[in-house]
Amino acid sequence: MFEAFPLLMFVLAIGILLLGYPVAFSLAGSALAFGGFAFSIGLFDISFFSALPARIYGIMGNQTLIAVPLFIFMGVMLERSKISEELLTTLGLLFGQIKGGIGVSIFLVGALLAASTGIVGATVVTMGLISLPVMLRYNYKPSFSAGIICASGTLGQIIPPSIILVLLGDVISSAYQQAQLNLGNFAPGSVSVGDLFLGALFPGFVLVGCYIIYILVASYFNPNLAPAIPAAEVEKAYSDGMFLRVLQVLIPPLLLIMGVLGSILAGMATPTEAASVGCIGAIILTKIKGQLKKEILKSVLDKVVQINAMVFIILIGSSMFSLVFRGLGGDEVIARYLQNLPGGVVAAFLLVMLVIFILGFFLDFFEITFVVVPIVGPILLMMGLDPIWLGIMIAMNLQTSFLTPPFGFALFYLRGVAPDHISTKEIYQGVIPFIAIQILVMGLLALFPEIVTWLPHYIYGS
Amino acid sequence: MAHLLRISRYIDETNKKMGDFAGWLILAMAIVTFIVVILRYFFNLGWVWIQDSVSYMHGASFMLAAAYTLLNNEHVRVDILYQPLSEAKKAKVNIIGTSLLLFPFCFLIWFYGFEYVANSWAVFEGSKETGGLGGVYIVKSLVIIFPTLLFLQGVSEIIKAVEIIKKSGDLQTQTTKQVGPDV
Repeated sequence: MFEAFPLLMFVLAIGILLLGYPVAFSLAGSALAFGGFAFSIGLFDISFFSALPARIYGIMGNQTLIAVPLFIFMGVMLERSKISEELLTTLGLLFGQIKGGIGVSIFLVGALLAASTGIVGATVVTMGLISLPVMLRYNYKPSFSAGIICASGTLGQIIPPSIILVLLGDVISSAYQQAQLNLGNFAPGSVSVGDLFLGALFPGFVLVGCYIIYILVASYFNPNLAPAIPAAEVEKAYSDGMFLRVLQVLIPPLLLIMGVLGSILAGMATPTEAASVGCIGAIILTKIKGQLKKEILKSVLDKVVQINAMVFIILIGSSMFSLVFRGLGGDEVIARYLQNLPGGVVAAFLLVMLVIFILGFFLDFFEITFVVVPIVGPILLMMGLDPIWLGIMIAMNLQTSFLTPPFGFALFYLRGVAPDHISTKEIYQGVIPFIAIQILVMGLLALFPEIVTWLPHYIYGS
Repeated sequence: MAHLLRISRYIDETNKKMGDFAGWLILAMAIVTFIVVILRYFFNLGWVWIQDSVSYMHGASFMLAAAYTLLNNEHVRVDILYQPLSEAKKAKVNIIGTSLLLFPFCFLIWFYGFEYVANSWAVFEGSKETGGLGGVYIVKSLVIIFPTLLFLQGVSEIIKAVEIIKKSGDLQTQTTKQVGPDV
């Protein structure tokens, strides 16, 4: 009975979340209700609640997470100044001469720019609004187009510098320290956000590479899938000074992203510092485009404030939830269960991944990162998994979950912005190849963990 | 009801101002951090108090804007079941959620936070590190300002939700059995 109690809390919380009230307050409110109930029957020490203010203040003072609003700012600024959009249409024209070329350019832009906000919904909606009409105009098959948009919308989460990796890096790092303390190592090593960025780099390349190969091969063998842009149109574009335009549109944001990422990876700047440079860079690019007007700046800040508050209030709500969950001994129950699974660390890992995958149907990245990873992370890490590898696997797992019908987040959001003549069934059909690619790449990372761990270990030499 | 709606509007305006202020804080964070980078790499200069100021602005940016985000309905929801509901039913979910989930949470933070903040004020808590910006007691006060703003916004949301339900009820009685009083 007592064993099942914390799990009951989890089930109750999911039930309450399904009502549709904002996640942050649902988590906090259900934890409070459950804690109060457990207190009344003597299972919960109410003084756990008194740690809440210090926790909130701790979140306010967390130095790593200062990078989050800055990366959001950079991303929203690039989006509102239409830099992303122009990049997409220009690259589309450039690659459009080959079959499937527009699809390729969408993945490249997604990998480059979608990264910064990292919110599946926002990215899929933006990409859907900008690129779906373009693909349909050039007679791309609707299901194929839908698959491309959903996959590129979730791609941003795994490609650094995504805020998802910043948040995950913070959580994994404390999980790693706790795991080492539990193992009796009182001078624990650490994992940084930079480590996670480095770890995500090769898997990200592999993933984008597989996506692009699939698009090119599929559209080569099936000419109706993604036809090339008519030659006449391409010629017209070139006579209008296409080459110069490509340079103008492509180089500045490319330099910006590479500068931001490079300085973090080279260990020159902390993610926060690099993000601030990215913000100023985005402002300058907007200024050059003549878009830096007061209304635009205001609308960007307004958007950033709300995304930022949304993320951090979920963090506060989740910390309330885990406070009660721990107070009820929930982490011990889970630890005992996972450690006693027949099949050891592999079985424990697979089970956790399955649970996270299913939770990904209901919860966005943030909730899972803040609620689930702190609970299961230390246990898996104590069983000997590499923290960077675990972080990347969790990120990719969730990304896959967001793509999977019928509940995947990306599908819902695309449904919201797609025209009615594209059926939901077509959207589902379109993502299936990409889910297969996701699973393939995850299998690859499981077989060859070096794809993740080699670069960070090589650079930081730990 | 007119009185209540006026209160609601007043709360909304207040939190809108908080949101705007938080926006400028984020812009300031970006600029100040950028200046820190320039000073460090080109002039080899750095002060703890500048770092502190960024950290304070960061904390304030989301603590002050949480209620504003609620006003704009930008806190994510699990909307599998919520999305298809009529406006009136959504309003009911929001009334229940605000009173049973949000309000208790606000009270709890207030209850424990008050002592936490009072202790800090009692000694005018300063920085832990030398050369810090100080004024920690002011920043810590956000721990109770945050639930206060959220609570007020919750009140405003309930007032607006009741208005929506009333309106859709009126509509239903006027146009008997017409489909979708979805206003």
